[in-house]
Amino acid sequence: MYGRKACQLVTELASGEKGQLTHFNSDLFEQVISECQQHHLELQSLIRKVQEEGLDLQTTKNEDHFGALIHHLALVRNKRCLMAYVHNRAETIRSLIWKLLGSMIPPEIQEKLSNSEEEYFKKHSARLKEYMSKLELDLTVDMVPPKDPYIQVRVLDDIGEGIVLSDDKTANFALHSIHFLKRTDAEQYISRGLMEELRG
Amino acid sequence: MTSYYDIDDILAEEELVSVVFQKAVNGVGIDPSSETDSVESGSKVELPFWLAQELHLRQVAVMALPSCFNQRTRLEIQADAAFVDLRSRCQFFYEFGCKIAPLVGDRTIGSWLLSTFKSRYKEVLTKAHSAVFAASSKYLALLSKEETKMYEAAQSSMTAFKKWRMGGPRFQRASFLSRKRKSTE
Amino acid sequence: MASNLGGASISQTDDFETFTPTTDVEPLKRAWRNEKAAPEILPYEASLVGRIKEQIQAMEDSIEEYSRSGIDPLIVSLYQMDLDRIQFLLRSYIRSRLQKIEKYMLYILKSDELFRRLSKEEITFTDRCRHDMKKHFDESVLSKLPNNYQDVLKQSITSEEDDMVPEPPLDTFVVCKSKEYLEHIQLEDEEERASSRIEEPFEMEANVLHIIRYRPIKSLVESGRIDLL
Repeated sequence: MYGRKACQLVTELASGEKGQLTHFNSDLFEQVISECQQHHLELQSLIRKVQEEGLDLQTTKNEDHFGALIHHLALVRNKRCLMAYVHNRAETIRSLIWKLLGSMIPPEIQEKLSNSEEEYFKKHSARLKEYMSKLELDLTVDMVPPKDPYIQVRVLDDIGEGIVLSDDKTANFALHSIHFLKRTDAEQYISRGLMEELRG
Repeated sequence: MTSYYDIDDILAEEELVSVVFQKAVNGVGIDPSSETDSVESGSKVELPFWLAQELHLRQVAVMALPSCFNQRTRLEIQADAAFVDLRSRCQFFYEFGCKIAPLVGDRTIGSWLLSTFKSRYKEVLTKAHSAVFAASSKYLALLSKEETKMYEAAQSSMTAFKKWRMGGPRFQRASFLSRKRKSTE
Repeated sequence: MASNLGGASISQTDDFETFTPTTDVEPLKRAWRNEKAAPEILPYEASLVGRIKEQIQAMEDSIEEYSRSGIDPLIVSLYQMDLDRIQFLLRSYIRSRLQKIEKYMLYILKSDELFRRLSKEEITFTDRCRHDMKKHFDESVLSKLPNNYQDVLKQSITSEEDDMVPEPPLDTFVVCKSKEYLEHIQLEDEEERASSRIEEPFEMEANVLHIIRYRPIKSLVESGRIDLL
C-alpha cells in the first residue's frame, strides 16, 4: 500500500522515548524518497497518456486522470511524513541544545544525527549564543526557579582540577569529592551527569 | 494546516477505511485483489484514511463507516463504557472519529464520541492518581492513544506534586544521556 | 538600625529599600506568567526589560561592594537570593519567548500582528533561524523531491495557500483572572454561537479564577485586563 514506509518513519518517532533521539534512519528515509520519484514518474506517464489521446488536461476526468491523482496524493503523503520526521527531530534537537547548556554535542547524540542535523545543531546553538550575547544575558542557567543560591554536590566523574568558577575562585573536582557551589555554576555539570545534587 | 507536523494526526490518518470505487482508475497498484494495475468501478478496497478521504471528497469512491464505530461497539459502550477495549478497535478512536464524522453522513457520531469520552475519562483520571501499579497495565491496554496521553499527563503531574511535597534533588541529569557511562578503552 | 562592621557604618534598612526596588518586580512577574501561559507570543516589554537589567546591574554592584566591605555574609546572601529570583524571572521570560519563536517562526513571519510583537534582536533571531531551518529542510528532504513538491510552505504547487505552516493553538484552555469586573465577553465565534445554546455573553468577577479558551480573551490579555496563571 502506498505511504506505508513513510508512515513507518513517523511511527518510529512516536514509539521513541520522549525527548530522546533514535538513529537517523537513512535507509528507510531514502526508500521513501525513491518511492516519491517513482510516483512522480507514474504520474507523468499517466498525464502524458491523456495528452496523447488528444484530451483536454483540465477537464478530462478519466481512469488515467484518477490514477495520476492517486500518485499525486501518495507523493504529498510521503512528503508530509518525511517533513514531519525531520521537523520533529529538529524540535528534539533544539530542546537538547537548551538542556546541554551551550556545551559541545556529546558523542552519543552526535552518532544519531544525520549530517544535515549536525550542521543544524551547530548553527542553531550559534544563533542562541549570538542572541544571548546581544542581550548580555546567559539564558542557559536558571532553568529551575532558584531556592538557594548555593547547593551541595557530589562529583560523579573526574572533571579535573583548577576549574575556574563564576566568582573567579578555582576548584578541584575530583571523583567523589563534595562541594558547596553556586547553583548556576553547578547546573551544567549536573545536567551532563557529571555531578549530583545532595539534599541532606 | 495547523497539524501538518503533528505525529498523532499523521498516524490517525493511516487508519484503514473500506471504500467502494465509483469510478475506474488506471495505473495504480492499490487493489490487492486486482490482477492488473487498475481498479474497476464498483470494487471494494481497504484504503488508508488519508487517501480514502480525498477520493471520497472528489466522489471517486465512497467511504463506509468503519467497524469500530458500528452498532455493536455502541451497544458495548452503552453497557460499560469505562472498560471497553478501545485500543484494539482503533488506536486513535476519538481523533479518527472526528475526522470520519463529517464524511459519512452520520450525524450522531459527534455526540456519541463525546458521551463515550465523558463516561471514560473519570476512570482514567482516578486510576492515574492512585498508586496501584498492578492494575494499571491491563487497564492501560484498553485506552485509546488520546486517553493514554491524558493518563500519562495526570500521572506525571501527580508525581511532580508528590516530589514537590517531599523535597529531594531539584536538579537532574538530562534524561537523554544514557544511564551507564561506558568507559572508553 | 545601624551596624558597625570593621569600621564601616551602613544603615541596613535604608539600603534594603534602595536595594530591592519593588516597583518593577511585580510587572516582571506578571509579564513572565502571561508569557509562560499564553499559547502565542505576546508583545515584548522593552522598557520593563531595560529597567530590570539596570536594576540587576545595580544589585550586582552593591553585593560586590557589601561582600568586600565585610558585611555579614548571611545578609549578603539574602540580597543575592533576591537578585537570583529577579534574574530567573527575566531569563525565563526571554526563554519562553525564544521557544515560541523556534516553534512558530514561519507563522510569526507571515503574521503582521505577531511580527510586530518582536524585539529588534528577536527579529534578527527569527530571520536567521528560519534561514537555518529552511536550509536543513532543503538539504534533508526538499531538494530530493520532484519539482512542484519542493516548497517548504506549500505541499505542492497545486496548493491554494500555505498549507504546511503550524500555528499556535489558540484554543488551548488557560487559567486566568481579571483585575476588575468584566462583562460582555464573547466566548464563541459566529459559527459556534449559531449552533450553541449559550446566548448571554460571559462575565468575569474580579479576582475569581476561570478556565477558558485563550482565543476569546486574547485581546483582553494583550491589553492587560486579564492575567494568566
